[in-house]
Amino acid sequence: MKVPYHWLKEYVSFDSGPEELAEKFTMAGLEVESVEHVWDSIITARINHLEPVKGSSHLNATKIFTGNGRELSVVCGAPNIKEGDIVPLALPGAQFFNDAGETLTIQVTKKMGALSEGMLCSPRELGLSSDHEGIYILPADTPLGVSLADAVIHLDIKAHRGDLFSIVGIARETAALFGSQLRQPEIKLSEKGKTSIKKMAALTVDAEDICPRFTARVIRNIKMGKSPLWLAQRLALAGMRSINIIVDITNYVMLELGQPLHAFDYDKVANHHLIVRRAEPGETLCTLDGAMRELTPDMVLVCDEAGPLSVAGVMGGASSEISSETTQILLEAASWNPVNIRKTSTKLGLRSEASSRYEKGVDPELALQGLNRAAQLMAELADGEIVPGYLESYSQPAPNITIPFHASACEWLLGYSVTPEEAAAALRSLEFAVEQNSDDGSMLVTVPSWRGDVLESADLVEEIARELGYDRITGKYPTGDAPEPQTTSWFDIQYQFRRRLQQCGCAEIVTYPLTNQRSTLQLLTDESDIAQLLVGAIDELAPAENDKKAGGKAKQKKQSAKHISEMDEQTIPPLDPGALPAVRLVNAVSAKMDMLRITLMNAMLETISANLRYGNTSLRLFEIGRRYIALPNSAQRLPDERRTLCVGLTGYIENWAEPRREYDFFDMKAIIENIAEGLHVANLRFTQTQSPIFHPGRCALLEIEDGGAKETRYQTIGVMGEVHPIIAERFGVTQRTYLCEIDLTRLYLHNTSPRFQSISRFPALTRDIAVVADISVPAQAIADVIRSSGGDLTRSVTLFDIYTGDQIPNGKRSLAFTVEYQSQERNLSDSDGDFLREQATHELKKQLNAVVRE
Amino acid sequence: MLDLLRILKDRAVKALHSVETSAELAQWQNTYLGRQDGELTKILRGLKDVPATERKTIGQRANEIKNELEEQAELRKKTIEERELISALIAERIDVTLPARTLNSGYMHPISQTIYEICGIFQKLGFHIIEGPEVETDYYNFQALNIPQDHPARDMQDTFWVEPGQILLRTQTSPNQIRIMEQTKPPVRAVVPGKVYRNEATDATHEAMFHQIEGLAVDSSTTMRDLRGALEAFARELFGPHTKTRFRPSYFPFTEPSAEVDVTCNVCGGKGCRVCKFSGWVEIGGSGMVHPQVLRNVQYDPAIYRGYAFGVGVERIAMMRYGINEIRLFSQNDLRFLRQF
Repeated sequence: MKVPYHWLKEYVSFDSGPEELAEKFTMAGLEVESVEHVWDSIITARINHLEPVKGSSHLNATKIFTGNGRELSVVCGAPNIKEGDIVPLALPGAQFFNDAGETLTIQVTKKMGALSEGMLCSPRELGLSSDHEGIYILPADTPLGVSLADAVIHLDIKAHRGDLFSIVGIARETAALFGSQLRQPEIKLSEKGKTSIKKMAALTVDAEDICPRFTARVIRNIKMGKSPLWLAQRLALAGMRSINIIVDITNYVMLELGQPLHAFDYDKVANHHLIVRRAEPGETLCTLDGAMRELTPDMVLVCDEAGPLSVAGVMGGASSEISSETTQILLEAASWNPVNIRKTSTKLGLRSEASSRYEKGVDPELALQGLNRAAQLMAELADGEIVPGYLESYSQPAPNITIPFHASACEWLLGYSVTPEEAAAALRSLEFAVEQNSDDGSMLVTVPSWRGDVLESADLVEEIARELGYDRITGKYPTGDAPEPQTTSWFDIQYQFRRRLQQCGCAEIVTYPLTNQRSTLQLLTDESDIAQLLVGAIDELAPAENDKKAGGKAKQKKQSAKHISEMDEQTIPPLDPGALPAVRLVNAVSAKMDMLRITLMNAMLETISANLRYGNTSLRLFEIGRRYIALPNSAQRLPDERRTLCVGLTGYIENWAEPRREYDFFDMKAIIENIAEGLHVANLRFTQTQSPIFHPGRCALLEIEDGGAKETRYQTIGVMGEVHPIIAERFGVTQRTYLCEIDLTRLYLHNTSPRFQSISRFPALTRDIAVVADISVPAQAIADVIRSSGGDLTRSVTLFDIYTGDQIPNGKRSLAFTVEYQSQERNLSDSDGDFLREQATHELKKQLNAVVRE
Repeated sequence: MLDLLRILKDRAVKALHSVETSAELAQWQNTYLGRQDGELTKILRGLKDVPATERKTIGQRANEIKNELEEQAELRKKTIEERELISALIAERIDVTLPARTLNSGYMHPISQTIYEICGIFQKLGFHIIEGPEVETDYYNFQALNIPQDHPARDMQDTFWVEPGQILLRTQTSPNQIRIMEQTKPPVRAVVPGKVYRNEATDATHEAMFHQIEGLAVDSSTTMRDLRGALEAFARELFGPHTKTRFRPSYFPFTEPSAEVDVTCNVCGGKGCRVCKFSGWVEIGGSGMVHPQVLRNVQYDPAIYRGYAFGVGVERIAMMRYGINEIRLFSQNDLRFLRQF
């Protein structure tokens, strides 16, 4: 909403400049976007003398009288000026925007040798209209030397205050702010002639539910033409172009009072009968902007007996448009249902000054006032004759809302006390009617018809608080009742994860959860393998029975961790192998972001790829975020939002002190073990697996023992590996890259508190054991056998060498471990050591067919 | 013979003075005290030819000299070893300005850091920290917050729909006001950080996904002064002790009265600069007293309970704090950006 400063001053007296006023508005809740100064250094002046510039075919040198006794010379090329014309003159220093949006500053120059001390302005240069044919010739009675300088305050009015989309509405607020009086424009109607409107026109409203009020008048014998400067100027300042006097008056009254109006050419309305009705299927209308609109029965039209004339409250039609030949006007001022207008406007993709006001609600009480004001101006400015009487349908008068109120409600919400007198005065200043009961301080408040946003006591408190100034709400240290302290939250848990990963040298990334199917499926060499994208989040292969057993401990855990109830794991049924269980958007702006992610891995690869392009060649990245898994009947159910960790690793360790080394699988594994250690997760294991995302020989499932039952079971919590080179390349990544994705909800279920184990007083005994086994035997299996063969006495089993080659048969390898044994009760002797080594040798042979080298 | 011993001693002591290295010392020891061919040994070997009466005296003297020389040799040895250690250490001198070995430092994303910092402040004030779903129902995101179907406020927040009219990506963290109050009885104090989504064109200050922190406090005594106090404490902690806070009237469908919250610009200190558009103030979020209709929607009696709610934009605050001028840097995840925090 653009509020011209001088226009505003016509309705309210106050003594602040534009900036100070803007500051007051800001603090009263009218959001000021900017204060714009316009037409500085432009004044009215008279052309005293005119003569051609020597040597030029079109330039004229003029002597201009500015009104303060000074004469200036101005060179002008416009053809339409003559001596005696009063024109707008831009003095040196005045600024304009040209068509390219550049600022032009008027300077003293010489044109073809003639001095030019300013510029005469066209309507377009003043922003009044698109007319650039010649200089704006002002009426002969325009005073000279008057500055056109003004300021425009740009306000961002919120939708609930439809009443503020008018200068009078703003003036009402201003009056309350300054404790002064609103001066409504005085409406003086002088109807002419004896023929009543009833004989000249008719009105039928068939859609009263959508049209609370409709009023119309007829104005005859108007003289079409252009608007006077003051009117065009005000429209221009408020952001509208001058078209012709009639259209300008309808726009002017809309800006002034907030009542949109529409002027039909009376002679183009069939039988002069206006009919308000819903559109019929298949009906069309060519609107004023020249577009053919297809109408639907939920839209309301103003029609004549021949068909649609306008889309009610949105835009008029071309057929009954005002033209230069128009002499009689059928003028409409109505109020419409805001929701209906909003829907129609959205459906047609058509927003107008009128529709944007109707959407926010226009006070039905305003209709007649606006109608009369416009009729008055048409009589005054276009010589129109107002036909006696008006047509009206007023089916839904504005509700009369009264609210019982007590000043103590202010203290209840604001925290400081307000006397009944203060409260009543504040409300009255905004034209609320207040009936005070002096006995108990209560009052009955009647809400003005234009304040549909005020419904209850709290709304009145806000009005009072605004009037008294929000500065009176001074801060105090919060002292109210606090809830019981919160136990561990997911927020805290995730913080721990982030800290851990940071300690592991990883940088956190935050990507858009919005992605697309193509990017997601790029992760798979075989697109039907979508379950692989959800490894760790779902038990895609686990039959129901397995689920039950595996769930045993998990359920106990869940109970003990009940306080972390936000978003527990939901049971996801088996996947349809053809379809991504993704949450899809129906109105995505971009095809690149039309679904929520079901994995973080594609965004991680995209981020790695982008960083490689930026020149960041070594990356240790992580993201903690959610993936969104659509559940069956997703129209009724919210998806499962799973807290997920994704780690990405690529590049190398490079340092002057050591040989450069590429990151590998085991660097990634170190990060994961570190996280598990932070949670004291016992029995995390890495199981060799294959996945279409990863290198066929370099991929592991992350599993955690989910015991309790007799039989040991493992729950999959995630997957890690080296990205398959074909997949990596799809994302533009050509160096070896490692990814890991872990379901954090599941991982956290396995957290434990550390249990102290006493530290032995007795020395440890060390034995080296080199084991030759099939290459297919996992190192972990060998270490496990060695560990269990020593029972309680095994303290650690550490791999220190892997060897293949001479002396080792083909298909086998040698793994050398250092094993530490220690007892809590005694010194272990050498013979104990030999015995334990024997045990290990025996078990390795028996269980893994592995041989210990002597 | 005694003379011989004296001469020998003098010679040995003199020679010892010129010994400079461990090797020379060993050589000296061999020359004078060696068991086989040491000069002292040689002299003592001649003892058998000395008359028995003198033998004792000379023998005693010879032992004294031997001890004396050994003592002096020992002193010399210490000196030499010390000197040799020092020169060995000097030879090991390193250039301390060489770069450090690689110890990968990690970085928390500035958005996470800002969220933790803000939530931490409210945690100290007794607030719970709760997270809610990002895919929400129309009821929680709009209706329960006093934004019925066709309410013009829906225009202010262009919505990504999953099921039109039913399921959407939350446009604000406010739906959690409803979720929290539905689940608990007053007193309530909670902050809710999280991602929110707006179906809007992106530019230097707008993203289709960003982060908000919602605050809610409801009990039987909390007023707008408590709201202001809480936000003042928050602003001072986050932007420095001299930060001032101001309330401006505003409109949100789910608060009444509503207030926009401004803090003094921490770039210019309130004097006016480009960041604050020369106003000296920067808006950090919206707030207000929970609308009585919202309280009724969760079966809280607005005659008994009252409280406030607020929402702040995390990106905006992070941009202010770190002087970041482009919001899209947060989602670009360029390591050269991440490394700075």
